[in-house]
Amino acid sequence: MIRYLARRAGHGLLMLFGVSILLFLLFQAAPGDFLSEIKVNSQISPETIAKLRLQYGLDQPLPVRYWQWVKSSAKGEFGYSFAYNTPASTLLWPRARNTLLLSVPALLISWLIAVPLGVLAAGWKGRWADRLFSGGTSALLALPDVLIALLALLIALKSGIFPVGGMTSVNVQDQGTGAWLRDLVWHMVLPVAALVIGSLALIMRHVRASVREVMESSYMRAAEGHGLPRMKLLFGYALPAAANPLISLFGLSVAVLLSVSLLIEVVMSWPGMGPLLLEAILARDLFLVIGAVMLSTVFLIVGNLLGDVLLYAFDPRIRRQT
Amino acid sequence: MTSGDLGFSKPEPLLRVSALSVDYDAAGGEVVHALRNLDLEIADGQSVGVLGESGSGKSSLSLALMRLLPRNARTVSGRVDYRGRSISEFSPAQLREMRAGEVALISQEPALALNPVLPLGRQIADVLLAHRKFTRQEASLRCTEMLRQIGFTDPERIIRAYPHELSGGQRQRVAIAQALVCSPKLLIADEPLSALDAATQAEILDLLHRLKRDLGLAMLFITHNAGALAALADSIVVMRQGEVVARGTVDKLRASPDEYVQGILFPEKSLANVAHKSSAIDSVPLLEVRGLSKRFIQKRMLSRKKFVVQSLEDVNLMLPAGSTVAVLGRSGSGKSTLARCIAGFETPDSGEILLQGKPILANKKSNGSARRPVQMIFQDAATSLNPRFTARQIVAEPLEIARWKSEAERTARAMKLIAEVGLDPDWALRPAGEFSGGQRQRLALARALAAEPRLLIMDEALSGLDMPLQAQMVRLLMELQARHGLTYLYISHDLNFISIFAQEVVVMDAGRIVEQTTSARLGQSIHPATRELVEASERLHAPGVEVAL
Repeated sequence: MIRYLARRAGHGLLMLFGVSILLFLLFQAAPGDFLSEIKVNSQISPETIAKLRLQYGLDQPLPVRYWQWVKSSAKGEFGYSFAYNTPASTLLWPRARNTLLLSVPALLISWLIAVPLGVLAAGWKGRWADRLFSGGTSALLALPDVLIALLALLIALKSGIFPVGGMTSVNVQDQGTGAWLRDLVWHMVLPVAALVIGSLALIMRHVRASVREVMESSYMRAAEGHGLPRMKLLFGYALPAAANPLISLFGLSVAVLLSVSLLIEVVMSWPGMGPLLLEAILARDLFLVIGAVMLSTVFLIVGNLLGDVLLYAFDPRIRRQT
Repeated sequence: MTSGDLGFSKPEPLLRVSALSVDYDAAGGEVVHALRNLDLEIADGQSVGVLGESGSGKSSLSLALMRLLPRNARTVSGRVDYRGRSISEFSPAQLREMRAGEVALISQEPALALNPVLPLGRQIADVLLAHRKFTRQEASLRCTEMLRQIGFTDPERIIRAYPHELSGGQRQRVAIAQALVCSPKLLIADEPLSALDAATQAEILDLLHRLKRDLGLAMLFITHNAGALAALADSIVVMRQGEVVARGTVDKLRASPDEYVQGILFPEKSLANVAHKSSAIDSVPLLEVRGLSKRFIQKRMLSRKKFVVQSLEDVNLMLPAGSTVAVLGRSGSGKSTLARCIAGFETPDSGEILLQGKPILANKKSNGSARRPVQMIFQDAATSLNPRFTARQIVAEPLEIARWKSEAERTARAMKLIAEVGLDPDWALRPAGEFSGGQRQRLALARALAAEPRLLIMDEALSGLDMPLQAQMVRLLMELQARHGLTYLYISHDLNFISIFAQEVVVMDAGRIVEQTTSARLGQSIHPATRELVEASERLHAPGVEVAL
């Protein structure tokens, strides 16, 4: 088990390494850098710009810059933000925490809803409930994420029950931890709901399809022939057998959720990685972008690693192979 | 007999099927009549055999009796009564109670009847808990007891094991334990032997025989192998295309003048007139295998431990041109590895394979012709042919790869081959997926012949087929051998038709050749591995219905 996980984690590290190199190359290929914007400003002399360039190390060749970044990452700084004049890590950590605050609950809630519903829908095959399910999930899939976020904002605005965007109310810190926590959860409701709605349909459809496929197998027919109760058949026999592809989807759903989360954060002004990344890209704030993307990659790898652990726990065939 | 208290003057049978007809809605609006006007009765403790070739509706019958027919099946007429009550009127709860509680089903493929991700003990216990009020602990106790009764000496291990950790025979035993754990009155066994090797088949057959006697179990035994029924069934129903064509005891059926009944009871009879018509056998060896060894090494990443599986050890073999040599043995004896080495799918660790005196690798190089001297046919034609290719495409494919002549000539040759293996040329444009098992195996044969081989390796190529179909294939193969001077390497786990088909027999066990003899002398062998095969064959083919020896 440990060895299996160590190998998987090793793959993850290799992937991080590859992603970082790719990011540096892509940035090199993209036109302009952080100083391009400043150059347009006639009040700043070319000498100042040249000095800044030297100071930021932008005059160095790519491999040197990459090496500098690796050294800085080893110190936990992940490079330097040009725009904010601080190590990238001081900006990234709180933002990453805020993003996790949205995506982890959204991930759990989506799966907790999607699995039972998907399994039931597989059992209802062909009946009206199943058609309703298919129609519902198709409609959800067709909804653009921006629209979901905007609709959530609209609801907040019209009803007045939920706060319109943001993460905390003003002055809430002064009213004690309990009030602060309640306020935070209250702010989380709409963005998390938007995330769940955005990712639910995909997961539900996959659950239904996987379980449906297993239901056609001869061992399910054999189990039915042994007179097992219907719910036992669906949840005790079909679901474990269908779990394998679903667990792989779990890792993938982390990625989907993160990308949807970036968008929803921007629209609902949640101070997560989304707005930061957008700003950094627009400003060509090299290390901040790389740091943010690398962090997303880490989340993704952790999600997949979690999937591997689950797979190991669920599938005896994989346990034997390893 | 419990029917007395129901107040009937005539005892009600356990199960009665009256005038049952079942249709399937196939793709394209076609209707397939799976069962037509079928009548059947099973009394308590009685065992009835259902005999028929594939496509005769046997499996639909077993599903209909359990009310497990797929959605596209319709019961057109008739009824199934269990103890005088129609099962179509059962409530879902009653139906669940009946399934495994009263009537249990074991099916063809033991590997596919068990959930791959759940421990076996739980799968057996769940059946028990669905029907009886037991605590988990009591259930587990009963499971251990059941497994011991089924013949496992280490039930505690089986309970914790998963299906992939057991052999095919062990899995079938577990499936039987699962079916019988609630002490049902009737066991429906749908081709319970087909997926097993001959020695295991005989063991399972013995087990069923013992259970029937010890538990007073009524049984419906569905098979295409008449031999298996002779000892087990009190009466036999012969089916063809969904209809009962004959019924009675084995003795009565043997005397039947019906050609179909005769064909299915004595499949070897159809071979009488082709036997030994094959061309003269050269003394020149076509293929020589010298000192062949092959080990499979399983190595783990980051680990120094190695698992060596010796698959072939010092195998020597000689195939005279124009002969048929049979390689026999249980599953796992190394027969398939030998075939794969000769066909070039595996590289042996040591030893030589000579074709016409030259190393076989030198022969593999193509010199512009479509000829490949060695061809192989696999057990499962369903998975070795692309189901979306048409029959003609499949046969023409090797010619196409070799860029043999023009498109038109390739098509003409493919059509000729299709006709030669006995398939209807009108079907040439149908996708392979629409062909039946036997037809697909013919198609695989036609494709192999397209390469004009000298040597044809058949790796269990007949094992998946019904007895009558096997007989037809053997007949075809013998005709082709005589016409084209082919040499056959025939690999099998059973002795069906061996004495007619093969001249020489090689018996393998644990990667070694343990005996080389002629098919005529096989019965007198004293080697334990050979004896096991011979005895299994004798038990599966009761006297008078024997196929092989």
